[in-house]
Amino acid sequence: MRILGKILAVHSFKGGTGKTLISTNLAATCASQGKNICLLDLDFRAPSLYVLFKESRSKFWLNDFISGKCEIDDAITDVTKKYGTVGKLFAGLANPSTGAIQEMLIGSRKGEMTALRRLLSLSKTLLEKRGFDYVILDTSPGLQYSSMNAVVASDVTLIVSVNDEMDIDGTRRMVRNFYEAFEKKSFILVNKILCDSEYTPAEKVRLLSRFEKTSEVPLLGIMPLYCDVLRSDRSTIFALEKPDHPFTKIIGTFAKHL
Amino acid sequence: MIKRKRLKAEGDRSVNMESILERLDELQDTLGQLDRKVDLIVESKKMSNNKINQVLDSPLDVVTLLSLPDNLRKTAMALSRLQEAAAADVARETHRERAVESAYLNQLVTMGYVLKERKGRIAYFTIKE
Repeated sequence: MRILGKILAVHSFKGGTGKTLISTNLAATCASQGKNICLLDLDFRAPSLYVLFKESRSKFWLNDFISGKCEIDDAITDVTKKYGTVGKLFAGLANPSTGAIQEMLIGSRKGEMTALRRLLSLSKTLLEKRGFDYVILDTSPGLQYSSMNAVVASDVTLIVSVNDEMDIDGTRRMVRNFYEAFEKKSFILVNKILCDSEYTPAEKVRLLSRFEKTSEVPLLGIMPLYCDVLRSDRSTIFALEKPDHPFTKIIGTFAKHL
Repeated sequence: MIKRKRLKAEGDRSVNMESILERLDELQDTLGQLDRKVDLIVESKKMSNNKINQVLDSPLDVVTLLSLPDNLRKTAMALSRLQEAAAADVARETHRERAVESAYLNQLVTMGYVLKERKGRIAYFTIKE
């Protein structure tokens, strides 16, 4: 299954499904494969990419770009050398300070309109002018302004879900009531599946088809729960540290779908 | 005789006064009714202005976009991407007819979300900030 589109939003209905882990490792893997990637942290309520890229951060935050205080070029930083990828890897960070988070929480509707229009301009600035192959947007969960804006501005959304009835049901409703209104293409990745050795191939097929049928979203694939991935130091990118790990190989498969 | 005339004149004046007072009372009633009607008109105008202001004050953010009918949402989204565009430009984005987009854009102008400016023969549309 080939994902068409250049701006990919990584979203979820619930929090804690593994969006940031997936988006970061996907971005790094694509860059390792020679693609020019720009990864943006649009989770303004719980910024986390700062931990990975803080040593190389630019003068401005993505918050400044969203509010119109700077252009996108001023808010992204080149981390290609740091990670040694073949293709370019750039990152844009959300401001992790409490004040900045509060400011985003109490933002006005006019501010949100500006934010949406700024995100819609990314296609022209980052893809056409700067020549990135893909822009990956790490979002907040659920239907908050920042995540809705990110989904609307994207070409396709990768929904990271877990094998949980509440998440599956919530995802289905989110897709029906929001994604479909904006005619957004989406795919679902089921994350944190208990170690696949516990499932026979037949059980796995049944699980996947049940998931696809219930969520009503095409399934990109599943990602088993690897304890060593969970235990890993989040200040590094796992796929670059452990290129032969099954997790990395599965991420590589997803990257090829792009 | 004179006294009778005077008394009659006083009586006449008194009748006239009563009549005037009655007329004044009637006038006061009428003014009161008019006053109440003007109040009603002002109230209803305020309410209709509030509804218009609600639309005018609602920016075209993602929540507003979600509330639009599908056809207008598609047009609004295309214009949001283009920032400033003529109907033909929007039609290229949406793959719909220029005349159709022109109608939708004008609807969005009427709703208060979009501004229209003529440059020569061509009308350009922008999202209202």
